[in-house]
Amino acid sequence: MTADLSPTPIQANSPGMRLLKQVLRNRSAQIGGILLIILIFISYAAPLFTDKDPNKTAPSVALEPPSLQYPMGTDNIGRDNFARFLYGGQLSLRVGLVGITIGALIGITLGLTSGYFGGWLDSFISWFTDVLMAFPDILLALAIIAILGPGITNAMLAIGIAFVPSFMRLTRSSVLALREMTYIEAAKALGSSDARILVRHILPNSIRTLLVLITLGIGSSILAGAALNFLGLGAEPPTAEWGAMLNAGMKFVRQAWWLTVFPGLGIFLAVLSINLIGDAVSDAVAGTNIMPNQGKK
Amino acid sequence: MFNYLIRRLFTSLLVLFGISVLVFSVIHLVPGDVTMAILGRQKVTEEKVAELREQLGLNDPLYVQYGRYVNNAVQGDLGKSIRTNQSVSEAIGEQLPSTFALAISALLVALTIGGILGLFAALRHGTWFDTLVMGISVSGLSIPTFWMGLLLILFFSVRLKMFPSISNGSSFADLFLPALTLGLPEAAVVARMVRASMLDVLNKEYIVTARSKGLPERLVITKHALRNALIPVVTFVGLQMAYLLGGATIVETMFARQGIGRLAVQAIYNRDYPMVQGVVLVTAAIYVLINTLTDITYVWLNPKIRLK
Repeated sequence: MTADLSPTPIQANSPGMRLLKQVLRNRSAQIGGILLIILIFISYAAPLFTDKDPNKTAPSVALEPPSLQYPMGTDNIGRDNFARFLYGGQLSLRVGLVGITIGALIGITLGLTSGYFGGWLDSFISWFTDVLMAFPDILLALAIIAILGPGITNAMLAIGIAFVPSFMRLTRSSVLALREMTYIEAAKALGSSDARILVRHILPNSIRTLLVLITLGIGSSILAGAALNFLGLGAEPPTAEWGAMLNAGMKFVRQAWWLTVFPGLGIFLAVLSINLIGDAVSDAVAGTNIMPNQGKK
Repeated sequence: MFNYLIRRLFTSLLVLFGISVLVFSVIHLVPGDVTMAILGRQKVTEEKVAELREQLGLNDPLYVQYGRYVNNAVQGDLGKSIRTNQSVSEAIGEQLPSTFALAISALLVALTIGGILGLFAALRHGTWFDTLVMGISVSGLSIPTFWMGLLLILFFSVRLKMFPSISNGSSFADLFLPALTLGLPEAAVVARMVRASMLDVLNKEYIVTARSKGLPERLVITKHALRNALIPVVTFVGLQMAYLLGGATIVETMFARQGIGRLAVQAIYNRDYPMVQGVVLVTAAIYVLINTLTDITYVWLNPKIRLK
């Protein structure tokens, strides 16, 4: 027999909704949100803003400065920088999102397992995380690229793995606090399986703490992705990606400022928008009741 | 304190063991045959493959290979570069001073700019200056290092022609732009931290007491508040130093500077696995050493923990 002790669906006054309302009321989150929506929209709806092919070369108009015809100028082989900026945004934003998703999935699973079961498994996973944390993020990502070889998929995987320790540690500490709660003991007494307790009871109650890391992590992940692409270890030419565009533009920094300023601005605005939202989420989480079940029974 | 010291050193040794296993595994985790990955698409004879396997010591059982790797590593022998045949330890030894010079200069930039901004933001809490510093700080955290570097090159190097965009030495002019590039985003973190720490200390009772005794505000700040507010910053300095060593990778590549970060990136391009292993091992070991020293210093500085 198992009783359903899972959290009730989100209601208007539930902690989840309160958190969301608090974030939406925050001025920084509003600015960040609008900025992010604009960036996502112009990137994914790129054909609405330009009819130019981001990879089509036209050596006769190489290194043209910004004009009405080429709002962000052209690169050294005459490709339209504006089209590359728009299409490049898709990949840069995707790298960030996929990277953080991989990190969160692996890290949270390890943290849940480690914190809940304890014992030698906890010791081993914690040690392994300590070892991963001994590598500066970019170095860990570089080591993984060294193993897997350069490429955009491998770059996403490398970024994801570099994020695993942070997610693992935060989830574990949250699980350690939650597993002693009365409602977890009640669920155990009623015969709920470990998997059910982890997925239905512990995970939903840890998610608020993890939200801050997930939000701010997307920004860091976009930065890390752009850095790997900048180092030439991610997207391969002629793929448009902001980091890779910066790398290519760096060679012409003296002749064509537009090749470095615009892609960099794209990365900066994307990360800034997410950091603004992340700060608001962080304030809201600190200000709301973290344990939704507290005081309910 | 003694027990803590022993426990902390033991944990660091365990982590170092893990690092050595991971770094050793790099060459074995490469999908497919590592020798083919190194030799690439060039016409490969069986003798050439056998020779490379022998050079990398891949014919022995794994535990023998690991034992040999660790044994050599503790004696300072990290193998030879596959591409240049140079000793890996020698190559790292040549590049390390340049990376250290860059990381220390960047740390100075971060502490000076971040410290001053954070301190004055806390002292003018709630004013336009505080809001401005926090705004700059969020922006600083969002700026990619490499973009910041390019903007600095555009301004100082292309427009003002004051500093070189390619720099390889350790003079002020050579280090100015790379250190600023690496240090400015960190200054944003320092500013936030010093501000939070100062705000916390300024609300403490001993500050109220010092003020009520009639001490001049300057003395209250410098003698009482700042000294205590900087304790958490000590831990942070250690961690940042380690972080800056990693961040140097991008700055070195960008300014074509010598350094172990650039060495690592070049080695990855060239699939020079012994070099990649060596750089990763040395950097991670330095990282662990700095973290351990930071933790010990923190405990030593904090009498509440030290005297337990």
